[in-house]
Amino acid sequence: MTVVAPALASLAGVSFAYSLPGGGRREVLRDVSLELRPGELVALLGPNGSGKTTLLRLLTGQLSPDAGSVALDGRPVGEWRRDDLARRVAVLPQQLDLPAGFRVAELVEMGRAPHARSLFGSTAEDERAVRQALVDADAIELAARYADELSGGERQRVLVAMALAQEPELLLLDEPTLHLDLAHQVALLRTIRRLRGHRSLTVLAVLHDINLAAAFAPRVVVLAEGGVAADGAADDVLTPALVERVFGVSVRALQAGDGRHHLALNLEG
Amino acid sequence: MRAAVSQPLAGAEPRLLRGPTLTRTTLVLGTGALALAAAVVAALAIGSVGVAPGDTLAILARRLLGLPLAETWPATAETIVFDLRLPRVLTAALVGGGLAMSGAVFQALLRNPLADPYIIGTAAGASLGAVLGIVGPALVPGLAIGLGSAWLGLGFIQVLAFAGGLGTVLLVYAVARTGGRTPVVTLLLTGYAVSAVLAAVVALLMFQSGRALAAVYSWLMGSLADASWAELGFALPLLILSFALLLARWRRLNLLLLGDAQAATLGVDVEREKLRLTMLATLATSAAVAISGTIGFVGLVVPHLLRLVAGPDHRLLLPASLLFGAALLVLADLGARLVGGVPVGIVTALVGAPFFLYLLRRARVVVVA
Amino acid sequence: MAPRLRTPLLILVALLLAACNAAASPSAPASQASPSVAPSVAATPTPIPATTYPLTLTDDEGREVTLEAEPERIVSLAPSSTEIVCALGACDRIVGVNDYRVGFPTDVLAALEDVPDVASFTGVDREAVVDTEPDLVLAAGNNLTPPADVAALTDLGLPVLVLYPESLEEVYADIELVGVALDAQAEAAEIVTDMRDRVAVVEEAVAGEERPSTFYEVSLFSGSIYTAGEGSFLAALIEAAGGDPILGDATTTAIQLEDLVAADPELILLGDAAYDPSITAESVAQRQGWGEMTAVVQGRVIPLPEDILITRPGPRIVDGLEALARAIHPQAFE
Repeated sequence: MTVVAPALASLAGVSFAYSLPGGGRREVLRDVSLELRPGELVALLGPNGSGKTTLLRLLTGQLSPDAGSVALDGRPVGEWRRDDLARRVAVLPQQLDLPAGFRVAELVEMGRAPHARSLFGSTAEDERAVRQALVDADAIELAARYADELSGGERQRVLVAMALAQEPELLLLDEPTLHLDLAHQVALLRTIRRLRGHRSLTVLAVLHDINLAAAFAPRVVVLAEGGVAADGAADDVLTPALVERVFGVSVRALQAGDGRHHLALNLEG
Repeated sequence: MRAAVSQPLAGAEPRLLRGPTLTRTTLVLGTGALALAAAVVAALAIGSVGVAPGDTLAILARRLLGLPLAETWPATAETIVFDLRLPRVLTAALVGGGLAMSGAVFQALLRNPLADPYIIGTAAGASLGAVLGIVGPALVPGLAIGLGSAWLGLGFIQVLAFAGGLGTVLLVYAVARTGGRTPVVTLLLTGYAVSAVLAAVVALLMFQSGRALAAVYSWLMGSLADASWAELGFALPLLILSFALLLARWRRLNLLLLGDAQAATLGVDVEREKLRLTMLATLATSAAVAISGTIGFVGLVVPHLLRLVAGPDHRLLLPASLLFGAALLVLADLGARLVGGVPVGIVTALVGAPFFLYLLRRARVVVVA
Repeated sequence: MAPRLRTPLLILVALLLAACNAAASPSAPASQASPSVAPSVAATPTPIPATTYPLTLTDDEGREVTLEAEPERIVSLAPSSTEIVCALGACDRIVGVNDYRVGFPTDVLAALEDVPDVASFTGVDREAVVDTEPDLVLAAGNNLTPPADVAALTDLGLPVLVLYPESLEEVYADIELVGVALDAQAEAAEIVTDMRDRVAVVEEAVAGEERPSTFYEVSLFSGSIYTAGEGSFLAALIEAAGGDPILGDATTTAIQLEDLVAADPELILLGDAAYDPSITAESVAQRQGWGEMTAVVQGRVIPLPEDILITRPGPRIVDGLEALARAIHPQAFE
């Protein structure tokens, strides 16, 4: 009998709507329920406007649900103290303008802020965490460089290091591959997978490339029209029928030599 | 999966984190402290009546440290150094340091390296308070409490100036707040608008001021001529407190440089933090303005310059601004005294503005995104 | 305690500390319990007393000032007090003056030749004052000497007498007050008697003469016209000189051109001509809106070089009064 681990993060019956400047509301999520269990690696997919970013913001507490509850470790996110939350949840943003004049090590140290103990210096603990984060993010050789001298890929690794320095249990990635070329996309996702293992991270990544998501994450959640259209293993869930329904695109499923499915765009007809 | 990913930290490896490098910190803060000390001694020794530097130090040693030194200097020198110049120099140091540090905080908060501590209405509000205090008794004789007389041991004018500065910022903040958030652009614009209105009222009062016009003008330009132990007693606790609390918040200021969203995920309650920082910086600025008028340029140029030289890390920038701002104003006030007692704000503007232009042309301006 | 409350609480404590500090700062030193000599307004010859020290005086702003001994080193921060001291024969005791030495009698100028300037119109050089080691400082009231400077010098332990006479009687009182301070009461009485006599002569000469409506031009500045304010000393002098002054605002002393035209002065006295030779009867006639005034039409626009006497409330103010009277009623003084 398998023991199901208690959920690390959960949404239960969550609804959310944005207020529009001209009055009125745009409903984004309607009665959404979702659970993330410790150690899971989950990809979040869906067309634009389906509420992916909104869901992430609900998990970090940036937004409050209109209905239902968002919980971390069984406690509603709204009841958590900011710094306690920051010690558990880290966000890798889509892109971030790194302030000039700081060295990479100093920027990564900013990720230690929720854990910061000493008033003016950094503790040995901070030093260790930053070093580890840089090593894990494959950015240790960048440590002494200035932030504004970095290339796009290097910057991405620094952002990963900053998130890891927080030593989170839940790592949220908000379309991290959006501005990266293919090699960097793959490198990033490989790094995340590797880290999940030895840091016992739970990862929820918003991705826009279906195949990449399928290759990356054992579990895929698809949002559409305010609700969860599919939730499960990529192979089971990402059927051509679903893709057509949710994305409005026609695809064919191909079976590759390694037994995995890939979805190919059907550009004819 | 790559092997040997998590290496235990070897003790022999160089530390990654020393804040801004230790050498840079020592260099910057050491220079600042030396500059301040030199400025203070110079300002105490030099003036319309010269006192030998040796005598100056001896007087200080005797009066402040209680050292039993033989009195080889004229009694007037001691009065001049200790009773006339010392309160003025201390005021200059505190005000200069306070304005520079507040300027650094506002430049981070508003993400604008050209912000100064007056930008969201402190100067306009304090000016209105002060001008009301100066001109009021002239217009409404029943209020003739007198410029130098005591109300709570402190001039009417200083209290009104302090209240005006603090109150205006609260007003601006309240007006700019929409939906529980205070966007930076709204704050700036509201500050500008409110300042414009208050400035017009001040101009009107100046027109009505008659004989008090010289006093009003001197206050608006910023002057340390009326520094006294009483005023220092009023401002000192407020300034020291805001200095201490602001210095301790360096980490959060650094985080705000990452943008509101990222700072929030790193554990900062962004709205509350912005309010707290604004209030602390305004407290320092209002206390400074209350006792010295609106001295310009120190709060803009010093932190901006230091950011170019010492980097944007507030762990170094805040204490450095404090030291160099203090030294600068002490020297500017010495200059003001030597040129015939002009308001020190004239000196800071005449020196500060051209120097700033020169820097903008020479150095790369560090813009915080 | 909840960290959220910590900062506001600390700020509150600091504010309280600041308020306590401010409230606890020392007030002006209490006056000695010594006999205060009320300045006597001598109308009839009575034996003139000698001053005994220590002495407590009350100046024109109600401040109590104590002199331990006869002052030997006097700093005068206003030209009017300089003239009073010199008139009382103590010119050689002056060790510091205001830098405005215009209009002093030549003997005063000579006596002050080596005396350093310790004040200017921008303010008092406190260090220079302290450096002269004075035992009496004479200042001018109504913000003419910045009150902050008066307070600072007082806090340093210097006796500062603030003088601000707003009428002839008060000028006499000030001369007598300084006379008491300098143990020169006899000289003071003599000066005051002489001044009263001369004033009486003027009043008698102009009594019964018709009072022309008189506009006294103090200055023109930035489009504003400044004259004798309502209730001012200058207005009282003009009246004593037999004129009917056209009055400006009580606080700003300004008058609007329209009001001046409506008042239509019969006589215009140009006090500012004493400092600016370009101001003449002809230049006034050419001013926009001034040409139709009775005074201009009748040619009764008179520059007054004696303005400095008229506006300096010292012993020579009666010279100024006489000059005013001569200008207003020339025929009474032939």
